[in-house]
Parts: sequence; C-alpha cells; structure tokens
Amino acid sequence: MRLRAALLAGAAALGVAVLGGAAIAQQRTTLNVGMAAQDVGRLDPHFAVTTIDRVAVAWMFNGLVRFKPGSINPAEIEPDLAERWESSPDGRTWTFHLRRGVQFHGGFGEVTAEDIAFSLRKAAQASTSAFSGDFRAFESVDVVDPYTVRIRLRENVPSLLGLVTNYAGGYIVSKRAVEQKGDAFVRAPIGSGPFAFASVTPNQSLELAAHEGYFRGSPQIKRISYRFIPSDASRDLAFQNRELDVNYGRAQATWVERTRRLPNVIVDVFEPAELSIININTKQAPFDDIRVRRAFAHAINRAELVRWRGEGVAREGQSLVPRGYLGFTADVPLLQHDPDRARALLAEAGHPNGFTVRVVHTQLPEMLAGMQVVQQQLRRVGINLDLQVVEHATFHQQIRQDLSPLVYYGAARFPIADIYLTQFYHGRSIVKTPTAVTNFSHCTMADAEIDAARVETDPQKQLALWAEAQRKLVEAVCGVPLFETLLVFARHNSVDYGYELKGSMSLGPLITEATRFR
Amino acid sequence: MIGFVVQRLIAAAPTLIAVLTLVFVIVRIVPGDPALVILGDQATPEAITALRARLGLDRPLHEQYFEFLFASLTGDFGTSLVTGRPIVSEVAAVLPHTLDLTGAAMVIGTAVGVPVGIWAALHRNRAIDVAARILSLLGLSFPVFVSGIFLLLLFALHWKIFPVIGNANLADPVDRIHKLVLPAITLGLVMAAYITRVTRSAMLHVLSEDFIRTARAKGVPWRAVVWKHGLRNALIPVVTVVGLYVGILIGNSVLTEIVFNRPGLGKIIVGALNQRDYSMLQGLMVIYCFLIVVVNLITDLTYGLIDPRVKHA
Repeated sequence: MRLRAALLAGAAALGVAVLGGAAIAQQRTTLNVGMAAQDVGRLDPHFAVTTIDRVAVAWMFNGLVRFKPGSINPAEIEPDLAERWESSPDGRTWTFHLRRGVQFHGGFGEVTAEDIAFSLRKAAQASTSAFSGDFRAFESVDVVDPYTVRIRLRENVPSLLGLVTNYAGGYIVSKRAVEQKGDAFVRAPIGSGPFAFASVTPNQSLELAAHEGYFRGSPQIKRISYRFIPSDASRDLAFQNRELDVNYGRAQATWVERTRRLPNVIVDVFEPAELSIININTKQAPFDDIRVRRAFAHAINRAELVRWRGEGVAREGQSLVPRGYLGFTADVPLLQHDPDRARALLAEAGHPNGFTVRVVHTQLPEMLAGMQVVQQQLRRVGINLDLQVVEHATFHQQIRQDLSPLVYYGAARFPIADIYLTQFYHGRSIVKTPTAVTNFSHCTMADAEIDAARVETDPQKQLALWAEAQRKLVEAVCGVPLFETLLVFARHNSVDYGYELKGSMSLGPLITEATRFR
Repeated sequence: MIGFVVQRLIAAAPTLIAVLTLVFVIVRIVPGDPALVILGDQATPEAITALRARLGLDRPLHEQYFEFLFASLTGDFGTSLVTGRPIVSEVAAVLPHTLDLTGAAMVIGTAVGVPVGIWAALHRNRAIDVAARILSLLGLSFPVFVSGIFLLLLFALHWKIFPVIGNANLADPVDRIHKLVLPAITLGLVMAAYITRVTRSAMLHVLSEDFIRTARAKGVPWRAVVWKHGLRNALIPVVTVVGLYVGILIGNSVLTEIVFNRPGLGKIIVGALNQRDYSMLQGLMVIYCFLIVVVNLITDLTYGLIDPRVKHA
C-alpha cells in the first residue's frame, strides 16, 4: 500500500514536472541576447555607430527598402516601407510609393511621406546625424502626397537604394516622436520595426517589446532582453547556463570550435567581413620611397595571419576593398610574401640594416594582438615597429592627427566599393584636412577613377573604373591588406531566426517577426 | 557631536573643490574627443564640429569650468554627453546595487577578517596562525576575476544554485539577496584577507603593551583582558583601515560588477572613461568624493564609540 502510494506520488510529480516543462517550453517568448558591451549609446538610428547600437536599432526600425534578412547582397534589396519605386532615365530623380497603414510604435501614428522626408533630411544634416556625409549628393527630398516621396540628386550615386535601405542613415524615424521627445529620443526611440523600445537600464539591459501592429505580422517573439555583458568569460558561462539564447561570439577559431562542441548550440559565422589593412603614409619618410613600401608589403605573410586568426573566421585580404563588395576585384598587383626581396629592396633604398619606426596603436586586445603578429613579421626583414600603445579613443584621435606613419585599421562598410575607396583612399578624405575621413595614406592617384565611377551609369564601365582604382592604389602600396574577419554569433538550436543567416548589415542577427523558439 | 559633524563637513568643502578642479582638468587632459567617440569613425569634420558645439565643448575652458563648479555645488550634474540622460538618474539607477555590494562585502570582510585576525594573534606562530596567514595571502593574491569565475563555475554552472547574470530586481528582496551572495563573497574575501592581517598585527601590538601585563598581574581573567582591554585598543587601527577600505571597495567593485554582470558605479565610470563622457565622469567623481567624505566622517565618529578618550569637540 505504502509502495503504491509512493509510486503514485512519484508519477504525479513526474507528470507535473513534464507538463510544467512543456508549458514552460510553450510559453518561451522572451529572447535573451548577450552582447559584449558596457551599455548602449545612442538609439537614434542616425547616431547608432557602435556595433551594440547598430544591432539593436535594426530590430526597431525600417528603411524604405531593406536587405533580404540574412543577406548583405545589394542585388537582393527588397521593398520595406516603400512597396514600389521608380527612377528617372538619368537616375537623378527617384520616386517611392509607400505601403499604407504601417504604424509607428507607441501610438505615434501611420508612417507617411512626411516622416520619410523628415528622416532623410535629418540623416543628411551634420548636426542631427553621424552619417550626413553619405547623403552629400541629395539635392532635395519632397513630399508628393501622403504616400509618395521624391528624392532629387545633384549627381548620380552608385546605389541610391543603398542609402535608403535599413542601414545607417536610411532608417525611418517618426517625425512627431523626434519633435515631441527632443533629446530624449536618443534613449527612447520610436520606429516602425517588429520590436519597440520598452526600457533601458544603464549598464544592464535594453528591453524591447513586440510591435503587435507590425505590418508584416505580429512577431512570434514577444520580448527581447538585450543584455550588456562586457566580460567574455561571464557571457560564455551565462550562454552555457542557458541564461542567454543568443551570444555575441569571438572571431577566433578556438572559440568557434569550443562553442560548437557544446550540446545543441549553433555558431553562425557571417558577412560582412571586416578588412584589416595597414595604411601607409606615403608622404612621410621613409615610406615616401616606394621601394620601402614594397619591402614592407613583401614582409607581410597573410597566410600566417589567417592561420593565427583561424581559418574558419578569417581569410586573406586580396585588395584594398573587402571581397564580395560590389566593385571588388582580386585582379590587382598585390605583392606576395618574400622576405628576401623585402631585404633587397630595403638595402636598395638605403636601409641595409633596416630601420625603426614609431607607430601609434590601440590597446584593444584583438587589434593589438594582430599588430604584434605583424610586428614580428616585419622584424624578420629588419623593420622594427616601436608600438606606442594608447587607449582606443586616444588612438582614434591621434591617427586623425596624422601622428602615425602606419595605421592598422579594420572596417566593414556598405558593400559597394565606392564607400571604402572614398573614405580610405580619396584625396578629399585625407586626415587633418577640412573634409577628412580616414585617408591615412595621403594617396590621391585614384581620385579620378573613384569620382568617375560614382556617377557612371553604365554598370560595366563603373566596375572597370573601380577595378582600375584598386589597381593603382595597390600598385602604389597605399596600404597592405592583411585579412578579413567574419562576424560570429552563437545560439541555442531552439532559436530559429526564420531565415538563413549568411550576412547582416547591422552586424548582428536580425530578429524579425518570423524569429521563434522551436 | 553635531558641532563636530558640521565642522568636518565644512573642512571637507575645500577638498571637494580641489577634487572637482582636478577632475575637470584630468578628463580634459586625457586625449580622445567625445564627439568623435559618439559619432564614430565615419563622421565628417563638419559633423564633429556641429556636435562639439551642441555639447558645449567648443566654449572656452574657464567658462566650462565655472559652470561645472557652480552646477556641481548646487547638486546639478547635468546630462550625459553620450546618452543625454540626467546624470543623477543614471547614478540613482545603479547606486543601490553598488551600496548593496560594498555594504555586503564590508560586512563579510569585517565579520570574517576581525575574528580570524584575533584568533591568529592569540595563537601566534601556531598552526592556526600560519593557516590564517597563508589563507589571507591567498585572498590578497587572487584577483577577483579569477575567484569570481571560479565561484560561477562551481555555484552557477555546476550546482546551479546561483545565476551567472547577477542583475537583481531591486524591488524583490529575495532576488536582491540571491544575486548578491556570490559577488559579495568574492569582494568580501579580499577585504577579509586584508582585515585579518591588520587585526592580527594590531592585536599582537596591543597584547605586548604594559597595561595588558599589568591587567594580567592584577589577576584579570585572560578572556576579559583580550576582549575588554586588548580588542578595544586594537580596533582603532582596524576601524581606520575598514573606513579607508570602503573607498577601495567602491573602486575595486568594477571587476566584480563586470564578472557577475551587475550594474554599478564602477561599471559606469569605466564606460564613461571609454566614451570620454566628461560630464558623466565629473558627476561620478563628485558623488564618489562625497561618499568617501561621509565614510571618513562615520569612521571618525566610530572612534569615539570604541574609545571614550577620543573627543569630538
């Protein structure tokens, strides 16, 4: 009798546990995402410049058009807030027709042409956007009627759709919310995406709630808790302990392999890759001598760098534009690893015993480790780098003051060659000039091709111009490409993004209305 | 007593102004432009100039200084350059977490450190003393990011008693304590190691004094000699160290906060420094300085409770 009672009690307990477990599984609607960061910064999408901010704003905002989820291929851009568009034969006037009935979060009303015009004008203005430089070619943005907006350009741009996509300055904000909230908008934004801002706790988390009125349907995930966990070890432990469903990963083969060995875990390695380049100041001795720059390039062993970084997450740089970008070409005279040739060139240039050069570099661990590998490679041919390691913000300030003849820089940009070439190798972008961006090499020899390609309407001619620009820059050794690093995120296999994650311009997985728990 | 408190607060005013001035100068000497940090690496000089003007960073330094000084003294710390939110509310959101952690660590550090230190002193050069010294050395040698991760591996991952993510719901006392245990132990044990050594040393010193010998010669029981005469006198340096250690605790708490993913003042300071958030750094330093002044005041008042010979007025 006692045994039977015990068995019955045990079965009941088991039943409760199983049913309870099933109920919990069914109820799982909060997605916990771990991010390697201290805090979010500015959630106004036109000021979202850090990875942590970019990942989050992509869940809250739409563009006129969007990259197909999981892709960064400009050829796969599809309608978002605009259901269709057309352009004039000269490519300078674009008309977008909006979907009707798309609602902003928090009762801020319907998305109209007024909001589109306001957002694009805001994105183009230096005082209200970090991406104003991208919209230099915009002449006007006019409201034709509540559901039609017209953009006029001063000159052709390589991809107008690229500028109005769900990326950087292309995000659409609620005009009424910006005007009503003022400065508070940067930490409590209003968009029209699948998730709405709910709250932010400094140094802790950003909470987002499903936008039930989302025009593509109510999201299956009802809440996102975006946790800021700067310690890699703690974040990994939290992920292992299933306190996180999605985890920001480290772009290291050892981390990827170790994480893939965990049960029921998927590691996504995706585009866009960040291309690391050593930019060489061609106007400063001893690098004003092309033989020294060539010696430098011959001393770099890209294969070794990729082995160090891990072949699953890195690949060799092939040009001064990341591979896969529209306009990229591998058909460039890239100098290969040849230490003997490097030594001979140095001797020829009057440096038979090599030389020492002072270089400013960041203390960010991943960038510092990469530079230390390069430092060892250069030492083998007699080039000694005297690394002045400074804090990251100081590094950014000092390299813009032209204080370092060599600048190690890793960056991913909108996947069209024009952006990379203009920002890093156009004369207008030379540091310490009124129009400076990030041209550390002071190279100007490809300006004509870059400018011509930007306004060229024939796609084949445009590609040829970009290829020619890359050839000239590589030949002059304005920079030496090192390696490209892909993005890494891990998730438990219970998380289904609803698409195949091959790329994401927001630098993190896009959480859409289709994302769900399996 | 009140007169003493007022006198000390008035004496703290020049210190506070000196700290404010130093903070203002230091955050501006450190290279790195807040506008560039906020706008990112693709920003144009035009956008950077516009933002600098909007943040008031283009105004003459003396103007910025006097405005900051006046605002700080009236309790207005302004808004964060990065988030645009009032600094007071940013700090108020995390201050309870920091006070919880430092308070609990101080309780653990004192509750463990003082008895172990006394015990070790009373058993000088015996196994107990040697063990206490070795353990305190270990406690001081282990950085919190090692001991913290070790505790997480054991109690969160293996036994699943505590969570890895320690951001507690302040409105829920059970959750608040549950998520405080591991971080408080991690931080508290370092303090305990330090207090053990100080207490042991102070006790050994006091126990070798003439008045202790006299008390024993008069036939006062050993227990009374230790507790009434020895400990009371040894506690003055211990209290001084505990008071000083509170400042160190607030500073050291940053690593604990990072390992256990707890919000807190330390994490905000690191974030503000990385982002060159001048106004946030200035505000935090003023609050930090104020906390130190208050703790020192409490320490001074405690002297009077331990030793009536210490007069406050």
